[in-house]
Amino acid sequence: MLARSAQGLYWMGRYLERADHLCRLLRLQTEALVDRPIAEIYSGWNRIYTCLDRQPPGARPDSLPGYDPSLPDGILQVMGVPGTRAWQSSGGDDYTLADSFTLADDLTFERSNSASVFSCFAMGRENARQMRHCISAEMWTTLNLAYLRIQQVDILDIWNTSPETFYADTAAEIDTFMGVAAATMYRDEGWHFMQLGRFIERAQLAIALFLSQMELFQLTHASSPEESESDWITLLRMYHALEAYNRAYSVEIIPDQVLDLLATDPLLPDSLCRSLDVLAAELASIDPGPDPEYDAAARRLTGRLASMVHYDWPDSADRRRLLIRLSTYCMDLHALVSAAFFDYATAAPSPT
Amino acid sequence: MVNTPACPTRPSLLRLRGILNPPLDPTVSAPLPDRFSDYSLEDPVYDEMFLPDGTPRPHCLGLFDALTNYADDRLAGVQERVTRSFSNEGITFTVYGDTEAEERIIPVDCIPRLLPKSEWDFLDAGLKQRLQTLNLFLQDIYSDAKIVADGVIPAQVVYECPQYRPEMRGFTPPQGTWVAVCGTDVVRTNDGFHVLEDNLRVPSGVSYMIANRKATKASLRRLYRESRVQEVEQYGRLLQQTLRELAPDGRDNPRIALLTPGVYNSAFYEHMFLSHEIGAELVEGRDLVVRDGFVYMRTTAGLQRVDVIYRRVDDDFIDPSVFRSDSVLGVPGLMDAYRAGHVALANAPGTGVADDKSVYAYVPDMIRYYRNEEPLLQNVETHLCRNPEGLAYTLDNLDTLVVKRVGESGGYGMLVGIQATPEERADYAKQIRANPSDFIAQPTLDLSRSPCLIDGNFEPRHVDLRPFILHGRTTRIVPGAFCRVALRRGSIVVNSSQGGGGKDVWVLQD
Repeated sequence: MLARSAQGLYWMGRYLERADHLCRLLRLQTEALVDRPIAEIYSGWNRIYTCLDRQPPGARPDSLPGYDPSLPDGILQVMGVPGTRAWQSSGGDDYTLADSFTLADDLTFERSNSASVFSCFAMGRENARQMRHCISAEMWTTLNLAYLRIQQVDILDIWNTSPETFYADTAAEIDTFMGVAAATMYRDEGWHFMQLGRFIERAQLAIALFLSQMELFQLTHASSPEESESDWITLLRMYHALEAYNRAYSVEIIPDQVLDLLATDPLLPDSLCRSLDVLAAELASIDPGPDPEYDAAARRLTGRLASMVHYDWPDSADRRRLLIRLSTYCMDLHALVSAAFFDYATAAPSPT
Repeated sequence: MVNTPACPTRPSLLRLRGILNPPLDPTVSAPLPDRFSDYSLEDPVYDEMFLPDGTPRPHCLGLFDALTNYADDRLAGVQERVTRSFSNEGITFTVYGDTEAEERIIPVDCIPRLLPKSEWDFLDAGLKQRLQTLNLFLQDIYSDAKIVADGVIPAQVVYECPQYRPEMRGFTPPQGTWVAVCGTDVVRTNDGFHVLEDNLRVPSGVSYMIANRKATKASLRRLYRESRVQEVEQYGRLLQQTLRELAPDGRDNPRIALLTPGVYNSAFYEHMFLSHEIGAELVEGRDLVVRDGFVYMRTTAGLQRVDVIYRRVDDDFIDPSVFRSDSVLGVPGLMDAYRAGHVALANAPGTGVADDKSVYAYVPDMIRYYRNEEPLLQNVETHLCRNPEGLAYTLDNLDTLVVKRVGESGGYGMLVGIQATPEERADYAKQIRANPSDFIAQPTLDLSRSPCLIDGNFEPRHVDLRPFILHGRTTRIVPGAFCRVALRRGSIVVNSSQGGGGKDVWVLQD
């Protein structure tokens, strides 16, 4: 298939997966707004921004009086959690500080935020629009209708009624799209590249979320286990894994077990090992690319990624390090796929 | 008759209602909706639905009956479904210079325009005659130019035309097909059908014809069934057949690519649609490379040869090594591969000379010259300002003429004398005097009108017709067209870039 079309479908898969992931995170976060303690809400926002590697909007910490650049920037400062330095130094004036409404808007509808739900969805839809001839008519209609709906919504429309419904609906629309794709799309290379993009993205997002979760909550767990328990439950719910966890272990939440399940359970549809297995299988279904070196390197790397989770994970003492390596390899894989199939040099062609 | 002054000497639809729907006892039945109250027949132009006396034309009786009897909400539902179908499917076009709305939905009117079989058969024959002639003309002027030598058309009209491509001299395309895909603009006046323009370069609109059909068919199901309409959905198949006939010798299963300028082109939707219909790869210039005189596309498995390119990129941009060197849309070396016969292009480069607005004036003579036949379809009377008598006539009658620039299309840069202010006319006259050969003038045409649903009532709007003709080993036409509508009240400009919309055309089986 045309390299540019394959690339478009690959990115369509990636962007829609990204939008879906963020919707699921925001759904849980907006649910938490209703009944969770304020500190947990703040740490929830922090988890989202950390895993997106994005600075939250609102007052920049360095604009606050008494800002100490030697201390790390964090959402707790930006949001001015009562009791923190930022809160005290602003004199308790929370007008300068971002609130959940602003953060949700930034992550959902902000056009200039390329990582917002809307931007990701719009990019996914734009790739689909440009590659409409490569997808089924049903897929396009499903996606376009969802886009037309989201386009007309803003934060005010959802905030005072039920923001979590909006996120649930949007995630469901992406699920529907993937279901329609599974039911109607011709299983040519376009399909495999779409899946490849989707699962590389899914693996990368899971790794980033695990890492930020470990960073934020491992320590709190030691100090006050009950408090951070709900953060780990949120993580399980994010991956539809709470019931599976209760069945496999017990109702007692132990962070290491949570991560074990989310990383290595082959039956869990969103587990990391499953994402890596699927992407290896998808790549195996694609005919060799024109550059044998990059092609072989990409295929070897998918095997290595899967085996790291299957075999290295259980023995690994330092899972954080393993996750960082996985994360780097995923980025390498993206570069290798691009070099092998999309952006290869045509100086030495092998015409057929 | 709210907006139209009463005029006792002219026929009116009030009379019509008396004929078809005798007043009923109001205690028995509610009065019919007064939907035609704004539909004036006073302007004596050809009406696609009504005879001058206000009765519906025989082939429109079923449609008229349906339109008068539908309940208000049903009619509104029809229009809403048609519009929504366009929006849901994302059938859009781009207006140049419009930064606000990048993707715009083409306005579409749900009421079809009906053509009886006899009228279509006449159009079919006339359009085929014309396209076959234009292909003969192109073959002639790029070889011996007998038509010029025989004095039928002046040499400078041909050779001074910027669309004449000297690079094509001595070349014969496969099957002698210069123009494989043509979209001819036809208008109807009280004197019958006239060809307004032959679009022989990269005509667009065929996807709207098919989208209009899909939408109206789904919204007017029963009426469609009862009207016995000829199908248009086979266009994609015919296009593919035509393109395959152009493939280089020995390529029995040719690979076809559709070359688009890209997603920002106003007709991108159509390019995508057609590539899907004909099973072609949708490529941009950057997807193609020329190696050793052959054209390849970059696939995920490496380079693959392309045999036929249906190009929707203008001549100027297809090959920067031959035409405009600053083009980033084209493929360097494409013309060499083409001239070597290793790839076919549809349409061939250089066809623009035959739809030039000055050359247009000579098409009836071409038909007589090459085919020894009388033209079936008339031209619109055209005055060439390059001729002294044409210039004098144009300047003397600026207030009644439509003056067009030879090199422009899409309704840009023209003067509609009747609507222009004296200052605008004076200013335009200056431009004409400075470069007479850049201008042609035509009378203001009384474009026929057709009922459109405007705010729940029927109002007359001016329409034209763009049928699509394919030419390979044979000439093929699907029985249908994209009907453009000047949706602004009183306007005669139907271009979608100038506030025009579309409607479906139903060619009836008998």
